[in-house]
Amino acid sequence: MAHALEAVGITKSYGASPGGVAVLRDLSFHINRNEFVSFVGPSGCGKSTLFNIITGLMPPDMGRILIDGEDTTGRVSPRLGYVLQKDLLFPWRTVLDNVILGLEIRGIPRREARERAHEVLKSYHMDGYEAKFPGQLSGGMRQRVALMRTMITDPEIILMDESYKALDYPLKIALESELLDVVKKAGKTVIFITHDIEEAVTLSDRVYVMKARPGEIIHEIDIDLGTDSPSIPERRMSPHFNTYYEMIWKKIGIAPMAA
Amino acid sequence: MTRQTETPASPVAASRRISAESRRKALLISLQLGLVIAALLAWEFGARSGAISRFLFASPLMIWDVLVQRSGTGELLRDVRATSVETLLGYALGAIGGSVLGLGLWYSRFVSDFAAPFIAAVGSIPVLAVAPMTIIWFGTGLTAKVVIVAFSCVVVSLTTSYRGAMRTDPDFINLMRSFNAGRSAIFFKLIVPAAMPWVLQGLKLNVGFALIGAIVAEYISSDAGVGHMILLGSSNFSMNIVLAGILLVMVMMLVFNFCIGLLERAILRWERK
Repeated sequence: MAHALEAVGITKSYGASPGGVAVLRDLSFHINRNEFVSFVGPSGCGKSTLFNIITGLMPPDMGRILIDGEDTTGRVSPRLGYVLQKDLLFPWRTVLDNVILGLEIRGIPRREARERAHEVLKSYHMDGYEAKFPGQLSGGMRQRVALMRTMITDPEIILMDESYKALDYPLKIALESELLDVVKKAGKTVIFITHDIEEAVTLSDRVYVMKARPGEIIHEIDIDLGTDSPSIPERRMSPHFNTYYEMIWKKIGIAPMAA
Repeated sequence: MTRQTETPASPVAASRRISAESRRKALLISLQLGLVIAALLAWEFGARSGAISRFLFASPLMIWDVLVQRSGTGELLRDVRATSVETLLGYALGAIGGSVLGLGLWYSRFVSDFAAPFIAAVGSIPVLAVAPMTIIWFGTGLTAKVVIVAFSCVVVSLTTSYRGAMRTDPDFINLMRSFNAGRSAIFFKLIVPAAMPWVLQGLKLNVGFALIGAIVAEYISSDAGVGHMILLGSSNFSMNIVLAGILLVMVMMLVFNFCIGLLERAILRWERK
């Protein structure tokens, strides 16, 4: 069976080549179904470029992206949804209407879309917020609405780019716990892009470690914290945590200083 | 954001600050009203004592008499109605049409780049310069006036709306694309609502331009309207009629602005939450 997502020889540089700045060089990786995989690396390792290439918003110079065995290089696939650090909620739409945006675009009747959104909001314990505008919500709430908007379109893969970077620590922990719970229950595949080693270790089944200039994968680590609990504090306190943290730190430790 | 910066020490302190704020407002309004009343009184008594020339400046009561007398004969209503109809029709054509065009230019970068110098050229023509020609082309009736009003607002609305449309955050557009939205879905669900604050800005600016256009059109040729009234008054050296006309223009402007304000509140209701 094909991988949920596979990247083959992704290369990208900016500016006219030769002489252009190489951002990603020969990136190859695969993501298994139901797997939670993080990409961790210092700034300058091409995380945003990687994000844009995986989503199909930007074509690579070379290489291919396969989703479920199908070549989706340079084009958007409905099998993949994403959540960014910026929640990108439409300020003129209510919470409910933001959640149904993707369904609306797909032409699902408004009534049906709204019914589904009500259920999703309920499952996130956010019923009662339907008629609020994003401007009335806290950053954490907005980020959860953004996740709901992606989840409701039922993508097989969810790509997250520093999604919880702007939140304060306790909130981040709470939202990450919720995320793990939701994606595991729904059987989703998650690709998580971050610069935060701790975040990568606590959330992931597997981590790709990247280096900067040009962005390359330098290491791949399977993570087993010995627990199935989605609770971030519990995972963080696993006796194996420090081992993984150290392994990754040693690979990229000095690089962040240079950035 | 600003939430934590100003936490009132107690509800009492908060209500004290509110009452201080409302006292300040009351003082401002009474000072402003006081100034207007004092000026009107000084003008009236100055005119009566001969210190102020009634020929050059009329007097508040003389202006009032014009308004009363003209509402009696129905001339006032006729003039206000004529100017309003010209303004509203021209505004609908120029300001609203310009906004739609400006937003629509988002569709094609090529067309908008191509049109840019021509839009700038048209925008640089003062309405007064083309008004006489418009009369030749469209006659002395309502059409010419509507065209002049439309001409005086179209470019402002077009450029502000276009700018608003182009300022849409590309991340939002990418999000729409990730949901497989086509150009039309992106336009109607994202670009139009996102640009709405700019569109409304253009619409607000244009209330003034539209009214200027209508008055100018009436100066060129008219048999009714507030501009007609002002022109006729000044050619008879009746300053009371001229000043009554100016007062009417001010009131119309206030009313139009108020209506646009209501529209803005209705459309941007999410911004106040």
